[in-house]
Amino acid sequence: MKHLKSFNKKAKMLDRTVSPDQVEDVVAMQSIVGCTSVNDPGWEVDPFGGLGSLCQPMEADLYGCADACWWPAQVPDTMSSHPNWSQDVVKADEDWRKLDSIFPEE
Amino acid sequence: MNKNKITRALLGAGALTLMSLSPAQAQDADGTSIIRERCTVCHIDSGDADKPFSRISEQRKTPEGWMMTISRMQKLRGAVIPANEKRALVKYLADNQGLAPTETDGLRYVLEKEPNVLESFDPLIQETCVRCHSGARIALQRRTEDEWKWLVHFHMGQQPTAELHAGARDRDWFGIALNQVAPKLGQDYALDTKAWSQWQAAVKQPLNGTWAMSGFLPQRGNFNADVVVTKTDNDHYELTLNGQYEDGSKLSGSGKAVVYTGYEWRASVTLDGVKMRQVLAASADGKTLAGRMFERDADVMGGPVTAVKANAITKISPSYIRQGERKLITVSGSQLKGTVALGSGVKVIRVQSRDNNHLTVLAEASHSAAVGSRNVQVGKTSSKGALTVYDQLARVEITPVDSIARVGGAGGLIPKQKSWYRAVGYAAGQDGKPGTADDLRLGYMPASWSLKPFNEIAVHDEDIKYAGTIDSRGIFTPGDAGPNPARKMSTNNVGNLAVVGTVEDGQQTVSAETHLLVTVQKFVQALID
Repeated sequence: MKHLKSFNKKAKMLDRTVSPDQVEDVVAMQSIVGCTSVNDPGWEVDPFGGLGSLCQPMEADLYGCADACWWPAQVPDTMSSHPNWSQDVVKADEDWRKLDSIFPEE
Repeated sequence: MNKNKITRALLGAGALTLMSLSPAQAQDADGTSIIRERCTVCHIDSGDADKPFSRISEQRKTPEGWMMTISRMQKLRGAVIPANEKRALVKYLADNQGLAPTETDGLRYVLEKEPNVLESFDPLIQETCVRCHSGARIALQRRTEDEWKWLVHFHMGQQPTAELHAGARDRDWFGIALNQVAPKLGQDYALDTKAWSQWQAAVKQPLNGTWAMSGFLPQRGNFNADVVVTKTDNDHYELTLNGQYEDGSKLSGSGKAVVYTGYEWRASVTLDGVKMRQVLAASADGKTLAGRMFERDADVMGGPVTAVKANAITKISPSYIRQGERKLITVSGSQLKGTVALGSGVKVIRVQSRDNNHLTVLAEASHSAAVGSRNVQVGKTSSKGALTVYDQLARVEITPVDSIARVGGAGGLIPKQKSWYRAVGYAAGQDGKPGTADDLRLGYMPASWSLKPFNEIAVHDEDIKYAGTIDSRGIFTPGDAGPNPARKMSTNNVGNLAVVGTVEDGQQTVSAETHLLVTVQKFVQALID
């Protein structure tokens, strides 16, 4: 990070949030149960406690989250656990109504 | 070697032996035989009586924890277990490798599906595990140190990207998880504990009988019900509920319950046409059930419930009376017989109505009644500090202190996830200053509700226009799911809002706010978040 210069407002905010000597803290914020505290960039909430730095609309990059198993407790990971979750929906931003949750089996 | 064939042969030979066992022993035998039949394709039957099955015997979990494990084995590992055997196996494992009541203390919120709980765990666990799921999900398991280490390996194999968002580029994440976190978990959440061995040895009380239940549901407010519980089999019950909501309308329902681990009450009930779940814990003496009841298909919509079998007071509503005020106060509980006393300075003008489990009185606090809480007494039954006399409302807190709701609906398969709010009133206490340690908690107070933008960005993005609405009960309904072309970049109907609750009491009008983040859907529903 020390060789990079923050260019825009968001980058400067990130720079202040994660300084090199805070690496062990790695943005492990206290969070509401059911939400992820991985704020890179965040599923429910961004690193600054708001929504401005999230991917929006969510559907535009949803499969980028699912393929990479990035939020395994929020988005079914199509890498390992739920490979067929979105197989019938080619474009999430158009056919998001067809996407269902993964439910616990009983 | 085909272990299953051998197992089946052994079971055949043992069938006569089973016939002479008690029902509990037979169930245990069923549990182990199901494991031998269904799980030893992968797990090893060790022959060690203390830990007969590899990995399985080195863990203890809640009923929900075992259900999740077996479901994962079915979904990801190809285990074939019919529904009736799965139910029996969860019961067997929760009974024989469960958690003692004290081991679930302070963590039950995740079983009860309580919404908007803020967790705080040891930083090592918070940074390693609570990135994705709750800390309670871990703290409600007991394993050997080796088992905790294998769980780290499992995560690496199943969700390899974990190492990226755990910061593996900048630190030895795997080494920390394996050599620091797992040993700590092995120590904090060890397999063998005194609490568990004592609970295993304890006599478990039957829960059939007539109970007096009181509780709160966000849709309907406070309620009271007589609950008749009938035993149908060992640890299996049927129940009927009959009572009333605080507006006087009738409440009725029925359902079935299973008790796991000797105290974990899980019921499915239909209450006035709505399918509900009860996740309750029975006290060791079998005289109290406490936990949460919520809608099966919308677990946010539910609230705390308490049921008592013995003579007891469970709720005073409202729990406060202002100096010089005259108002109706309802006392709920079980077998409430005898004279009602509301403590010094509070007179019972008349008993408005009463039956065995609740009574409503017209009460009056004198102008000189001392500020503070007092015991409420009905006959010989007393509830400590249950009614508070106050001078004036000084401040209000809105619960929960932070909250989320999730967009949904709009023709999609995932419904909206609502949120709901209550206002808690406080008097200033002896120092006359609100917001100090001696503030006097009065209880939940009726409030009017509104929304406003949380910050300037929310004003700019017009979040208030898109993110949702709040009703007169304090229930927030979020906006529709999907990209919204009317918003910049077709942003979802997310929003950063403040919920404002305003309480009018006597001459006072007091408002307070809490934070609400309206965010996107969750595509993974888990029994334990």
